[in-house]
Amino acid sequence: MILLSLPSRTDRDLYPALMSPELNAKYPTDHKAFVRIDVSLRMYWHTLFDICPELLELSGLDGMSIFRPFMAWAGEKKLAFDWSYYLWVYVWLRQSPFKDRLLADDKYLRSVMAASAARWAILDRGRDCGIVIGCADTRNLVIGWKCRSVRLGREIELIEPEEPLPAPPDIFGYFTLQTFELDVFPGWQSLAR
Amino acid sequence: MRLGFNFTLGDTYDMAQRLIAEGHIDYCEFLIDNFFCVDPDELAKAFDCPVGLHIMYSKFLEADRPTLVDFAARLRDYIDALNPIYVSDHILRFSHEGRAFFHLGEIDYSTEYESVRDRVVAWQDIVGHRIHFENYPSIMDGGREAPAFFERLMKETGAGVLFDASNAVCAHRNCGTPFEAWRNVIAEAQHFHVAGYRHSLVEPFISLDTHAEALAPDTLAFLRDFRSVFDKPGATMTYERDDRIEFDDIVADLKLLRDLFGQPEERRHDLALSA
Repeated sequence: MILLSLPSRTDRDLYPALMSPELNAKYPTDHKAFVRIDVSLRMYWHTLFDICPELLELSGLDGMSIFRPFMAWAGEKKLAFDWSYYLWVYVWLRQSPFKDRLLADDKYLRSVMAASAARWAILDRGRDCGIVIGCADTRNLVIGWKCRSVRLGREIELIEPEEPLPAPPDIFGYFTLQTFELDVFPGWQSLAR
Repeated sequence: MRLGFNFTLGDTYDMAQRLIAEGHIDYCEFLIDNFFCVDPDELAKAFDCPVGLHIMYSKFLEADRPTLVDFAARLRDYIDALNPIYVSDHILRFSHEGRAFFHLGEIDYSTEYESVRDRVVAWQDIVGHRIHFENYPSIMDGGREAPAFFERLMKETGAGVLFDASNAVCAHRNCGTPFEAWRNVIAEAQHFHVAGYRHSLVEPFISLDTHAEALAPDTLAFLRDFRSVFDKPGATMTYERDDRIEFDDIVADLKLLRDLFGQPEERRHDLALSA
């Protein structure tokens, strides 16, 4: 085993690297710290491509031509990696070499919007019951509902409104619902970084 | 030892009911904050057995006080309606500098004790209930300091430990934390978790708490060697399974646990009285 010059006694020593492929590369591959960081990075990879496998059609099977540059960009922007993780991937793809193929088929957009709605419904612990996500690239809306019954899971809906809402000012916008009804439009909120 | 199953979402409702009906488990553990939009009375009627309440995302080490007060207010509704055997939470990190971990982080036990202790005291005060805190499946060598940390935490805060036996096995495999170092913690603890683990995909292999595999031989050996320390009146052990959820596989593991600990002496509904 190679002696490691970087601190690695505790998990905390590795926190900055846990979301950075670039920093992981600084650790020798036969060190436990490298494996621990690799485990963490794989979670980001699987969270993206297991839920949105369509994206692998753009990148190739290992996903790395999306994953590595996106994670580097996310690091520069200090993205919070909250429920909007997938939407930020789309934002990045839109200004990447994948842009033309991305915009040629709306299945990618549907996939990331549904994934982010589901992630909100899984992770949010506020009092809201649902989230509505809109995008400047589509008139459709995606809604994520939290679990409302002990026998049910979270629910995701795609809605094609007869009267479209105004487009969000940014690429994506969202608003939350305090009940299990879509009966208000309080205006779009921008994604937090 | 009473055996339970972790109920995290409606998908496993029918299976949990069957585990109860066939006597494989004696109680259910709700991952309670997954159900914060479900009426507390509906949850109270969901299973004809006692329940434990396990918290996943209070983030009490990181969240501000108003957020925690609001979280606790909703949690209280479920505590009041369900009269749980126990309420438990996690000591770990969900983010670093505002950016979320997808594989959650372990704290530094040697430098963070005081701040964690103060947070634990405040969190129990806000909830108004004793909380049992779960140990982490340590990977890095700092995990060797976990047993002393939890022992001291129990002593100085009145909190309990929800001792996860398979997390301790992972820590033993990954950083050499001796099982013996946990003896006092296990002796004090009343509530336990156990599950399967798997190895990392790349070498040098580390063991990861996955809740997706059968109980490993070394986990069962640990339980067998410390059986008399684990088992005590009112003790509970939740079998966790979050992936590859197959009824027969789960029952096979529950039978191993039953064989090890024997049938519980108390009747199922006596559990609620032992909280």
